Amino acid sequence: MTTRLVILAMLSIAASSFGFTPANAEADSNANGKELYQLCAQCHGKDGLGNQVALAPAIAGQRDWYLLNQITKFRSGQRGTHFYDIAGMRMRPMALSLRTDQDVADVVAYVAAMPPEKPAATLEGGDPEKGKTHFQVCLACHGPNGEGMQALNAPTLNHSSDWYLLTQLQNFRAGIRGTNPEDVTGAIMRPMSMTLPDEQALQDVIAYIMTLSESK
Amino acid sequence: MIERYVEIASTYGGNIDALILLIAALVGFWLVLCEVVFIGFIIKFREKPGVRGQYITGEEKHQKRWIAIPHYLVLVCDIVIIVFAVNIWYTVKQDLPEPDVTVRIIGQQWAWSFVHPGTDGLLDTEDDIKMVDELHVEKDKVYHFKLEARDVMHSFSVPVFRLKQDAVPGRIITGWFEATKLGSFDIQCAEICGIGHGMMAAKIFIESPEEHQKWVALNDPTEDSKHTSTVAANNAAAN
Amino acid sequence: MSDSHDHHESHGFMSYAFSTDHKVIGMQYMFTGMAMALIGGFFAYAFRMQLAFPGMDVPLYGIVSSAEYNSLVTNHGTIMIFWVAMPVLIAAFGNFLIPLMIGCDDMVFPRLNRLSYQIFLLSAIVLISSFFVEGGGFGGAWTSYPPLSAKAEYNLTPLGSSLWLLAVALEFVAFLLGGINFITTVMNARAPGMTMDDIPMVIWMIVLASILFMASVGPLIAGAVMLFFDQQLGTAFFDPDRGGDPVLWQHLFWFFGHPEVYVVLLPAMGITADVMCVFARKKLFAYRTVLYTAIGTGVLSFFVWAHHQFISGIDPRMANLFTVTTLLISIPIAEMCFVYIATLYGGSIRLTTPMLWALAFLGEFMIGGVTGIFLGASGSDIYLHDSYFVLAHFHYTFFPIAIIGVFAGITFWYPKMFGKMMNETMGKIHFWGTVIPFNCIFIPLFLLGIGGQHRRIYNYEHFPELAGKSMQDMRVFATVSLCIMLIFQFVFLYNFFASLLKGKEAGKNPWKSNTLEWTTESPPPHGNWKELPNCYRGPYEYSVEGREEDYWPQNIPDDEPAGGAA
Repeated sequence: MTTRLVILAMLSIAASSFGFTPANAEADSNANGKELYQLCAQCHGKDGLGNQVALAPAIAGQRDWYLLNQITKFRSGQRGTHFYDIAGMRMRPMALSLRTDQDVADVVAYVAAMPPEKPAATLEGGDPEKGKTHFQVCLACHGPNGEGMQALNAPTLNHSSDWYLLTQLQNFRAGIRGTNPEDVTGAIMRPMSMTLPDEQALQDVIAYIMTLSESK
Repeated sequence: MIERYVEIASTYGGNIDALILLIAALVGFWLVLCEVVFIGFIIKFREKPGVRGQYITGEEKHQKRWIAIPHYLVLVCDIVIIVFAVNIWYTVKQDLPEPDVTVRIIGQQWAWSFVHPGTDGLLDTEDDIKMVDELHVEKDKVYHFKLEARDVMHSFSVPVFRLKQDAVPGRIITGWFEATKLGSFDIQCAEICGIGHGMMAAKIFIESPEEHQKWVALNDPTEDSKHTSTVAANNAAAN
Repeated sequence: MSDSHDHHESHGFMSYAFSTDHKVIGMQYMFTGMAMALIGGFFAYAFRMQLAFPGMDVPLYGIVSSAEYNSLVTNHGTIMIFWVAMPVLIAAFGNFLIPLMIGCDDMVFPRLNRLSYQIFLLSAIVLISSFFVEGGGFGGAWTSYPPLSAKAEYNLTPLGSSLWLLAVALEFVAFLLGGINFITTVMNARAPGMTMDDIPMVIWMIVLASILFMASVGPLIAGAVMLFFDQQLGTAFFDPDRGGDPVLWQHLFWFFGHPEVYVVLLPAMGITADVMCVFARKKLFAYRTVLYTAIGTGVLSFFVWAHHQFISGIDPRMANLFTVTTLLISIPIAEMCFVYIATLYGGSIRLTTPMLWALAFLGEFMIGGVTGIFLGASGSDIYLHDSYFVLAHFHYTFFPIAIIGVFAGITFWYPKMFGKMMNETMGKIHFWGTVIPFNCIFIPLFLLGIGGQHRRIYNYEHFPELAGKSMQDMRVFATVSLCIMLIFQFVFLYNFFASLLKGKEAGKNPWKSNTLEWTTESPPPHGNWKELPNCYRGPYEYSVEGREEDYWPQNIPDDEPAGGAA
């Protein structure tokens, strides 16, 4: 009889510990952000380092104001509603699953506090030396070390996955991103991306960006 | 009855509702009859002091009649339902009327994309209007849709049309509808398609010919007009 | 008969865990099933709370994310069907009852039986472990349609989905082993004198269910292997880009999935028949008709599977054929219900707790049965497919089967299992506290389904037509009812365990029942009888005219004077 009870008890403990968190009416924002991030972690990974197969970029190390901007754009439909934006269409419902501005703020704070890490390079064939020349256009907003600039709404590039930078540059150039009439900041980036002459230039400039780090 | 919950906005929506009501009437009759007899027996044959149960085998002909006759009647009801169900199925899914317009519908994780034929009325030309989460159709026109999926199974479901069709990757499934009511209505994804399934909502806008022409002109990608999105406006309103 | 009787009863853990006694194995199945039911019920609580109060920090759970929601829904379904209904209805009752009701000392393959439970336990552990791996538990619905289930980039649960599949496949293996055993035992080890017509209906039903299961599960096991290869080895059986076909899985799944419904239905029907006859003091109306309709249902159930796929891209002409077969299956099922009602006619009905459960099974199952017609008719299925109407219909069949039927069985055979009586008052409180909230949960869901609410949706706020207040109120009502129902289950648990300690002694035959299991001690000793019984008549000879007692046990020879061992 006791063994039956033990089995029963074990299984019910397993049940209650699955996703168990103590109910606390005054759960602070941090805990809330952490819990909400569990959904993001499905694609972006629990350390925010991204997952190319799931089309999810690295987000650890990104600035809070930029994260907030982008989530807001996804929620309002300024991003993730273009016919060819496959990855964006996956992100939009996820952003919409955050129900309140407080939830957005909490999860943004949680992500912004993640320890940044330089994602491993996945692209080959870019020449950082040539890329450095092209980067002269970028540094006006993104800063000489790619650290970003809040005043100009330019995100940091230091912790981005290279494949993500490539697809986004391609998207800007093809009019998949930055063409929504309400996406004012994206509209600034679109002509900038056009200054790169060809595909090779994209590879080069990304190769250069991958050599940058804030400590320089 | 169902119209109290969801409006009807397609030519065959009313037929489907009528079929549901027909079935409700037939099976409702049997259900009520059985439950009444069942509960009646429980009350009538409660244990009483000094009264023993009866010994009935149910194997004799006059006893079996009580089972046999109802079961033939059930068979008759079944046949009636089959005739009507197949008839409606044939109208909705098998016998596609000649289309006035054809649109392409693409399901993907987790959005619906729609290709409208644009000013020339033909798909796969320069002036196709490609939209995410917005389908614009004209009232009283026969539409064919070519349903595709980019990644996993989805199901194109428009409750006001009473229409549902799974989108299968690797296939193009053709179906039809004719809208009968102006307005904007929900499009759902009715087949689980991953973690964003619960938020994969789109809208269908049923417009009068004039409105529709205006919308086409405004969104003509060959014209130098701006892409306008009513989705953004809707979301602003929803939030 | 079996080789397990050469060692004597001992009470150590090892001898319990590795016992080959059919009663011990039956108990193990039952307790594992009950524990899994607690998990499945808890999952239902968590996702129902999310539906009623979107974004809520659910007490005892936390915030339900959309990924967790899918996983909870998926595993609730999987657990309740494969780890609750199957083990309790077929394996627990089958193991416990078959040898006792046919009058033999054990299963014919006791070691196979033991292996079957061990594999089942392993499958449960694999399933539970899948909730804790990276990415979380599988969330592609219990039907697990590819490509969603086949590729990690789509389902985002690279390990969870494979573990889920592995657990299901292991569970099938366990039940194949168990099923072989049941069929062989009933065919070969019946008490002397027990003809095919003397086998209690519950045993027949378990055997038919085992046959159905064995005949239908093969294609799905093949499919599961293919899906596993797609997930882990990158094959393309279900990948359309590389020549596979995702709809193939649906055929394999539902070819099993629909007979599976009858696999669990039949044992519940059998339990109900036995309980009803005992407490109505009536012979089962038209025994052979019940048997033949059950067989007819079983055969027909192999030809209806595509009604799950009407709108899934199969050739629309095929739907017509499956509409006909699906509606035809309503006839044997209706006939069974008629027979059960007719059995009550002229009875002397005692509303004990087991009888209440058995009657509730029939009353509720009829609702589930008739609502199936709406879905089997292709024309109306276009609208109702994958809506909450399906969900409510399904639960109106499955809840009576897996919960009400099981409670009928447990409360009825509890005295035999443990030698004690359960408390009747608590039993009745638990009964009403379960059945009333059950209807309060699922009637609103029928209405929501008619209102166009589709299934497996994390949050209806995103669908303006479904986000209205009246619909949300119905969701809240259903959720509150669920919570009430779950709370009442503690009454049962308390009653169950408290009665073990302080229940009234049951004696051999507390219900004055005819079947052979009531002729031995309660609980039956190892080997079941000191001297194996003979069988002289059918199991339902109640209220026979000219006899002093209103029951006539199967083991009493015709010439022996009236009266039984009570």
